[in-house]
Amino acid sequence: MASPFDVQRRDTETTLVVRGSLDINTAPPLAEEIDKIVAGRPKKVVVDLAGLDLIDSSGVAALVKLYKGVRSGGGTIAMTGVRDQPLAIFKLLRMDKVFNL
Amino acid sequence: MAALAAPIRLSVPGTLRYRALAVRLVAEAARLVSGSSRKDPNDNLANDVRDPFDTAVVSAFAEIFNNVAIHAYKRHGGGLIEVAITPTDRELIIELTDDGAPFDIDEVAPLPSDLDDTTLPEGGMGIHIAKTMLDEMTYEPGPPNLWRLRKVLTAAVSNGRS
Repeated sequence: MASPFDVQRRDTETTLVVRGSLDINTAPPLAEEIDKIVAGRPKKVVVDLAGLDLIDSSGVAALVKLYKGVRSGGGTIAMTGVRDQPLAIFKLLRMDKVFNL
Repeated sequence: MAALAAPIRLSVPGTLRYRALAVRLVAEAARLVSGSSRKDPNDNLANDVRDPFDTAVVSAFAEIFNNVAIHAYKRHGGGLIEVAITPTDRELIIELTDDGAPFDIDEVAPLPSDLDDTTLPEGGMGIHIAKTMLDEMTYEPGPPNLWRLRKVLTAAVSNGRS
């Protein structure tokens, strides 16, 4: 089974790919990776959510933490490929406009 | 309103370990009502939720299951989560019963009205998601504590039905 997420670092850009279900069981290990990403003060972060099928409030919280952390460090962050249930959740929470989805 | 089946029942220990199992059952029950089919027939994790009705039901149920495991059973289990699902041709009713600590639903704060870098919430979203996704959500503190979730199939959420 493929890892639910992986991180690719290239020059000043960091790409986080998240797949499957980002929920209360899978968010904690991702949060550890998010701490590492934020600590590196990246200039640009791309979060590829095209493979993300399901998200819950814990998963949203992890991505909000990443969003805040990158921006407070002076970087930019873009979330791409959001679809179906995760998009419905972001819209419900009115985060689609904040994240430019 | 014709029942599609007798109530479907699942009883699992009240920990997050059993969350995926319960969510999968609920996703399949939602499909009985919505008539949707999986886009990926090989998806055995039931992550392939695309129909709006299924999306609402699965999203709400997952949040309430989380809530019971975390708040009622404090992440340590020690009791059961009893799930009773009643599908009809027009709606789905899910009842979750637990014997853990009662939850004070009145203490749930509303989401901030304006979202920006400082107000984006990092918690407290679960009940809001569940309530907004459903047509009706009630909670009766116990024990046993009873959550009752109801989602109606309407034209706006019945893409999967012809």
